[in-house]
Amino acid sequence: MAKKEMTKNESLYLKKVNRRKLSGSLEYTTSKLAYQVTAVLVFALVIWQIILPLATGKEIGTISAVLTAVYGVEFLLQFIVVKRIEKEITGAVGEISNTTRKLGILLVPFVVTGNFLLFIAGAMLIKKEKNLEYQLSVYALLVNIFIILISLFNLFKDTLVDTFWLGIGFYALYSVLNVVVIGAVNKYTFGKKPDKKFMPFAVISLLGIALGNVFSFVLGLITIGKYRNKNEEVSVEWIDVIKRLFRNYTAVIGMFFVVLFIGISIGSNLTFDYDIAIANNFSARLAEPSLMYPFGCDDYGRCVFTRIIFGASISLIVGLVSTVVPIIIGGILGAIAGFYGGTRDNAIMRVMDVLNAVPSILLAIAIIAAFGVSTMNLILALSVSVIPSYARTVRAQVLGISNQEFVEAAKACGAKNGTIIFKHIIPNSLAPVIVQATMGIGSAVLSTSSLSYLGIGVEAHIPEWGNVLKAGSTFLETNPYIAIYPGLAIIIIVLAFNFFGDGLRDALDPKLK
Amino acid sequence: MKLRKLTAVLLVGAMVLSLAACGKKSSNSGGGDGGSSSSGGEQETIRLLGYSYYESTMNILRDQLTKAGFAVEVDMQPDYASMVTARDTGNWDIAMSGWTTVTGNPDYAVRDVYASYGEYNPGGINDPKIDELIDKASQETSAEYGATYKELEDYAITEMAYSIPLYATRGIRAINNTVVDEKTVKNPQSRSAYWEDYSYVDESQNATRTLMLTQVMPDLTSLDPPQANDGSINQLSANINVRIVNMTEDDQIVADGSLSRNISTAEGNQAFYFILRDDCYFSRVEDKHVVPTDVRVGAEDVQFSLERAANQDMVVNHKTYNLHKHMSDISIVTDVEELKGVNDSDTGKSVFDTLSEGLPSEIQTLTEDKTQVDNANGVYQVVKISTENPFPQVLYFLAHQSAGILNKEAVTEMNSKFEVASYDPTKDVCYGDPATIKSGDNHLWMSGPYALVDYDDYQVVFEKNPGYMAGTEHEAKISNIAIKFIKESASATSEFRAGGVDILDAVNTNDVATLQEDKNYTVFVYIRHATTYCDINMANGNKFENIDLRKAVFYAINQDEFIAYNNDLVGPLYSTASTLIKTDNKLEFSLEKSAEHLKAYQDSKK
Repeated sequence: MAKKEMTKNESLYLKKVNRRKLSGSLEYTTSKLAYQVTAVLVFALVIWQIILPLATGKEIGTISAVLTAVYGVEFLLQFIVVKRIEKEITGAVGEISNTTRKLGILLVPFVVTGNFLLFIAGAMLIKKEKNLEYQLSVYALLVNIFIILISLFNLFKDTLVDTFWLGIGFYALYSVLNVVVIGAVNKYTFGKKPDKKFMPFAVISLLGIALGNVFSFVLGLITIGKYRNKNEEVSVEWIDVIKRLFRNYTAVIGMFFVVLFIGISIGSNLTFDYDIAIANNFSARLAEPSLMYPFGCDDYGRCVFTRIIFGASISLIVGLVSTVVPIIIGGILGAIAGFYGGTRDNAIMRVMDVLNAVPSILLAIAIIAAFGVSTMNLILALSVSVIPSYARTVRAQVLGISNQEFVEAAKACGAKNGTIIFKHIIPNSLAPVIVQATMGIGSAVLSTSSLSYLGIGVEAHIPEWGNVLKAGSTFLETNPYIAIYPGLAIIIIVLAFNFFGDGLRDALDPKLK
Repeated sequence: MKLRKLTAVLLVGAMVLSLAACGKKSSNSGGGDGGSSSSGGEQETIRLLGYSYYESTMNILRDQLTKAGFAVEVDMQPDYASMVTARDTGNWDIAMSGWTTVTGNPDYAVRDVYASYGEYNPGGINDPKIDELIDKASQETSAEYGATYKELEDYAITEMAYSIPLYATRGIRAINNTVVDEKTVKNPQSRSAYWEDYSYVDESQNATRTLMLTQVMPDLTSLDPPQANDGSINQLSANINVRIVNMTEDDQIVADGSLSRNISTAEGNQAFYFILRDDCYFSRVEDKHVVPTDVRVGAEDVQFSLERAANQDMVVNHKTYNLHKHMSDISIVTDVEELKGVNDSDTGKSVFDTLSEGLPSEIQTLTEDKTQVDNANGVYQVVKISTENPFPQVLYFLAHQSAGILNKEAVTEMNSKFEVASYDPTKDVCYGDPATIKSGDNHLWMSGPYALVDYDDYQVVFEKNPGYMAGTEHEAKISNIAIKFIKESASATSEFRAGGVDILDAVNTNDVATLQEDKNYTVFVYIRHATTYCDINMANGNKFENIDLRKAVFYAINQDEFIAYNNDLVGPLYSTASTLIKTDNKLEFSLEKSAEHLKAYQDSKK
């Protein structure tokens, strides 16, 4: 009896150890998620593309059958890989064998089918030693590949925009550059400090921001930051934050989607035809999803896919601007209130309270009703209602910080109040604001869409996601796809921002260092 | 140092590249069809005004005008009232407009829209030739006026492009055929629905079950017929007040189903005779239930009601004066010989003979006193209506709900408490005031097949008038009817499908297919004289005074797209009279012609 208890406890303990070992392995976490998600996808595809048509007596499309089969293969492959990793890590050697790592090469090309999880899992598996730079360069490449893949859907359209091939060529070139950067990362950045020879590549990476590729930009920043760091023994604070952020896989995937949406909203200007999103084409009225119109067409015959792509930029711009504006206004107000206290604090915060007491969506509706429907007014309407929450956050931070010794020291040195606020207090109180802002962008995107859905946001023909959704809502019963896809886009972007914001909060939290 | 140089070079390179990309942003498909893009000259801006109801129409219009090379600024107001306010400021070029010819005659269809003094002519059409043609046509009979209206259309639309026709709306009515007997549902082109004909599939339900209808507008304007002419009361009023003529489904003027047994138009088209029934009694309401009265609807009431309609000074806020102003005299005929002395304009027989057809007994005497009337024994009442000029179309206006017959005593009692000239809406209460009825004081005396017994924010409830032509085919079949107010057409459709509404009077074109799929629903798509078109702002100084610019817009319109968008449930249109008069005019869509006129306009500016 006692012996049995022992073995039970022992196996429990072993399980715990194994679990800890596994969760510490980046290869395992990425691979596991990849096979799980692929399994769900295969399941959904089988039901949707094979069983449903069979049940309703329709023919199974060749494309959907092939797609299902390919995803099935992906799942099998990934499943085998996961089982091998599991066995090897918990086994005697305790680390992944080289043969398993070589399987990663097989996984990577499947990115062509849109399965980015497999790509990430493969990329993480191939290399044994992975630093932050490697991960960033892989994600940067992934974003590029995705932009090209999404853009290539236009090949099925009747007409291509003039700049299409220019855009594709440009992105292809940039992808090649990315691959080169990955090579350089492998070669030069694994020391304590990146090699001087990496600096040109760092600059190239920095330029990625012009295309919205934040991963590439951060890569450049980090390597330059590390390079310029005098004391090799002390790590740079903000680089550590990013490092911690990249330990959280969900946060990285969130960030990937955010960056992808930013990238595609910039890239779409080259590779997508705005006319297809705007101009009516009654020959394609309510067209079913096909290769030509991947998400179908709405009641005016406009391609829903193209509309969603162009909608990304509007949603993101409105989301970003209507978050940055209240941060600046609310931040300054909160800082003044927190730093000076007394009457000024009271006056500012009571006004904020009044503003806070007005339901935000009602306030937005009132502002738009008063000033008319336009994107500018929409941004204004969304900004005003969130000012108080930023002011409160900043004020609370400032209250805590302004009593600390370094502020006292600055005062003793004779620094002016303005200098103290802007140089010492605000930089130190930014962390929670950044987190709040990332979450805020998500809800701003949501509010934009809600207002557009109500018909008081962006003008109806502009492809904003709420508008696209509204156009579909009439046809939920007969043509549900018109509403489903923009709905999914909204869900994905909001989720992505939330995951990212969540990860950022953990990364910035000093207690979790 | 080297690094900085490299950075600078790379940055500049990236900028140049992205600039180059931006410069080439224009796509290949915009306006690619037919030299539409305004070559050389700057784009003309068009300010398009409308409200949310026209969202889809405005989107198609914007798209078509953009493809024709215009820059379109869309001003979409939330509701009709806001649009009217915006329209009054004059800051628009093209405004959405809808016109429904509820009387079914072409005079009503064109007069208020195209005449210089028209009530619904916000664009400022002011052309003596049009006024002349309208007056000319009004004095002609239906056999003659076709040519005149075509001439009017050719001139006002084809030649001058005073308004831009978009499409003719069809009527779409859906019924739940498991509940309502579809054979009893009529779909009139102009007049409101006939409730008295409706019957349930299971006839035993007629006495017990409440028939549920629906309506968009919950605020009734007024239940005094001359005081209102809009969607909130048209259907109600048409069914609670009888008129002296009736209109069939296809807009024929008949006596059948009206207070008259026969009608006759005297030679010269200036005098009209009506011989009245004696089996129509007023109903009134007590404790939210109908109470029959033994007060007959007689010639005195007809005379009183129509004199009010024709006299602006007898009714506060008279909304239908333009319809009835043509009547100069309404009298009760007491001399049988008078009828024998004039001939009917259609048959050539005497008015007496025309009026005598199919009566229960021969006309012995005519009386002024409705209590003396006894049709079975030859005692009748005859009303004579005279118009200032020959105006045969007056009969259409008499079939309109605003010519509903009211009880002389009931109206006088309410309205004698104030002077029309010094009416003060804050304290004076008119007959038919909906707020008063809502508060529980139902003072209406109703001559129609139904009586309005209750009204609140959610519905209006009706009960059958037991004294309305009892025992005849016109006696109402269903005893109880209610109209539910549902603002959104999508919600109304859902309610209908959930079984909460039995008859859906206006179905959205996008819902038709879904409803048709269900065998429990019958969807009627029928001709209705409802049109959608655009007014053009030709006010002094506006650029649309220029005919070339108007024609550039005119030729840019492709009506087929409106028809396609609405699933072929709307039809082509040329003028507001299109649905009534066949003229074979068809709007030509030609981007070439549009571009030509646009160029002509731009050249004229130089």
